[in-house]
Amino acid sequence: MKHTLFSVVILLSAGMFGQKSELMIPQEAVTVFSINNLDLLKKIGVDQLISYDFMNEIHQELFDGSTDNKSLKDAGIDFDQRLNIFYGKTQNMEVSGFTFGITDQAALFSVFDDFDPLPSEINGAKAYGSFFNNLVIKNNNGLLIRVEPIESYVMSMTDSIWFSRGNLSPYYQGFDQNEAFSDDELMAQDISYELLEKNYNELRDSIQYVLQHQYLSEVFRGLFQEGKSLYSLSQPFREVLVHPVAGVFYMDNERNFDRAKNLWYLKSVLPSLYLDIQELYQGNIITGDLVLGAQSIDFNITASYSEPLGSIYLEMNDAKFDKRIAKYIKEDQSAFFTYTINLEHAYNKAYEIVLPLLEKEKNIDLSMNVLTLKLANAFINKDAVFDAYKGCMFGTFNGVKKVKTRKIEFFYNEDTFEYGERETDAEEEMPIFTLGFTTGRPDVPELILEHLSTITSNFEKTPNYWVYNKAIFDAAPLYMINTDGLFILTNDEDLAKNHAEGYGKAGLSNKTLKTIKKAGSMSGFANLKAVANQFPTDFLLPEQVPLMESLRGKSGTMSLRSGKTTLQNTEISLSYGFESSEDSGKHLLDMLNTLYLLTK
Amino acid sequence: MKITYILFLLPLLLSSCIEIIDDLSIHSDGTGTFKYSINLSSSKLKVNSILSLDSLDGKKVPDLAEIEAKITEFKNLLSQEPGISMVKTDLNTSDFILKISIDFNSISQLQSGIKSVLIRLGKEKDQYAIEEDWISWDGKTLNREIPSAVTSKVKSFEYSEMDLLKSGTYTSITRFDKPILKTSNSNCKLNPSRTASMLQVNTYDLKLNNSLIENAITLTP
Repeated sequence: MKHTLFSVVILLSAGMFGQKSELMIPQEAVTVFSINNLDLLKKIGVDQLISYDFMNEIHQELFDGSTDNKSLKDAGIDFDQRLNIFYGKTQNMEVSGFTFGITDQAALFSVFDDFDPLPSEINGAKAYGSFFNNLVIKNNNGLLIRVEPIESYVMSMTDSIWFSRGNLSPYYQGFDQNEAFSDDELMAQDISYELLEKNYNELRDSIQYVLQHQYLSEVFRGLFQEGKSLYSLSQPFREVLVHPVAGVFYMDNERNFDRAKNLWYLKSVLPSLYLDIQELYQGNIITGDLVLGAQSIDFNITASYSEPLGSIYLEMNDAKFDKRIAKYIKEDQSAFFTYTINLEHAYNKAYEIVLPLLEKEKNIDLSMNVLTLKLANAFINKDAVFDAYKGCMFGTFNGVKKVKTRKIEFFYNEDTFEYGERETDAEEEMPIFTLGFTTGRPDVPELILEHLSTITSNFEKTPNYWVYNKAIFDAAPLYMINTDGLFILTNDEDLAKNHAEGYGKAGLSNKTLKTIKKAGSMSGFANLKAVANQFPTDFLLPEQVPLMESLRGKSGTMSLRSGKTTLQNTEISLSYGFESSEDSGKHLLDMLNTLYLLTK
Repeated sequence: MKITYILFLLPLLLSSCIEIIDDLSIHSDGTGTFKYSINLSSSKLKVNSILSLDSLDGKKVPDLAEIEAKITEFKNLLSQEPGISMVKTDLNTSDFILKISIDFNSISQLQSGIKSVLIRLGKEKDQYAIEEDWISWDGKTLNREIPSAVTSKVKSFEYSEMDLLKSGTYTSITRFDKPILKTSNSNCKLNPSRTASMLQVNTYDLKLNNSLIENAITLTP
């Protein structure tokens, strides 16, 4: 069955292929990591490689013990060619995989040993399939690909067919009590089922199977019959591939915008506005170069965008860093960031560009919102608003501290084993953060805090700071320092009580300050070892946990700075420094993995 | 069912210091009271941070109102079960202590009542596990174990979560009108009058070996 379907799926012709595996990346790919300097990876074990998150989608069948102690060198991979890892998502399917050059097919199949040959009608190509993935080999280039329909789409189609057949809900046990079916009714439904008719789960699996092959067919039709690959369609992708660096990164944000689920209302109710906004996002592509140094990997990113969006960014970046911040960041801080933008200029530019788009819409609700916006713009004292938050902010991670809390504990009577409750002291770990921004109106936060302190006694004023007791999860206090044109929020007791005027000489050095000033709107620094090993994962969102886990045990530093912003693009650089004795290939993969988790 | 699981398993999953007490009193006529307490007060920060999430490991995290509603639903459904009466629940939302108290006419009615309610509340496929017996009483000997529905869920916890179980305790207390003749679990303590037994285990050890709480308590004839 699989063979028959696959032969339908693989469509004839092609002729588009040259000799490079990157030509086999499907047009559906939105994100691509292309590793150029494969020599670095020769020592990487296959099992080690497939343990990375970016290999998650395709690793199941490789991770079966057959790859033990085998390195990539043993896998017949051509190290003179790039390894291209791709991922893409459309409204209906997810596509993932990688392309690579092959020197020894026999060696390759000693690693990819779960693949069976499939009848293929691609000129000069051989196709193979396994339970999850498909492998196409053409001109000594390999494409390992997995195509999966989006689960929600599969479920909605299954539900539609299931209920149209007059079936009851497959989850009938979950109905409210007063809606519950009697045993007789459920029995009657069971008896009425045709033995040959699929149950709900079988129906869902069938739909998933058919859609999977339909989408695989679409991908292959585009790639092999119509000659449409990411390489042939995207000039930025072609350009980034010729950069003489260890690896490159490509992400099409324009298509990410297009598939954003929360835009469905805009798409269906205000289609012309959606198109206008989509136009704003045209050309929104992020590319990057991975440059390997002796003790560092530099990731130089260029974020390209449309000129209207660029004009807003340009205004936004017309800002100066406020050096008063420097005294609240320690020179040896394990992690910090600064962000400097000109919010007033950005607002004015956005108003100038976005308002005409909104005005064009002939929708009564939107029209009233536009009127409200215009009136607010006319009557509100914007200078006062933007003086209260001047656009320069910073954040620091100050480690983890034990926070005192109270707990209830049970105690037992040894004669009766009866138990009672008593309140005692407890301690829990909490990450310590500081967040601050510059303000030209210190009277505004003071006014708010004064007012709040009349409502609840939890707000207390001390000579140097305000404290909001039990502010964080009803246990830990939050301190607010309003001084010298800065408003700072922190749960760091030491900062509030002992350093409300800053850390003095322990603050950022002039050299670091100069680097931040040069950095443009964004700068950041992290001591990976300190951050990853200190940060309690309980406080992370589930999707952020793998990222933190991937950083654990690393030594090195990561620094971020934005560079020049023009009408067309902004440059950002991320630099990862590590100890020279460590393996560069592994660091490169670690870096790729971090980027993958951040961008997926 | 997800909320039900979260109610009963989240404590085991998340707490760096959790106290669980199950306290079963059986009278000579087979009637009795079952009390179950979960104390998460020493992990307030963690519980609050979890409750502030939308989802955890792909499962929706309920808010406090949903948890309270589910507990009320559990209480109402259980009150309707044959042989069950005086079902009381108390959720202390500032210290995160949940207490449940149930009067029953017989152990078998207590067990079938709880099973029935869990199945009615549930939507998950592994309900067969809930249907297993975890307690039996023949008038002389009481046998207790942990339902496999709970142990299989706990065993599925990620490695990173395991550390969190290490300082928690699970206390199982059983009280009778008559003195206890013997117990099968060597870690079980008896009170001086031998009318009550107490078994206290670490939640992490319990995860590794769910037979730690297994006990057969035989009364004097």
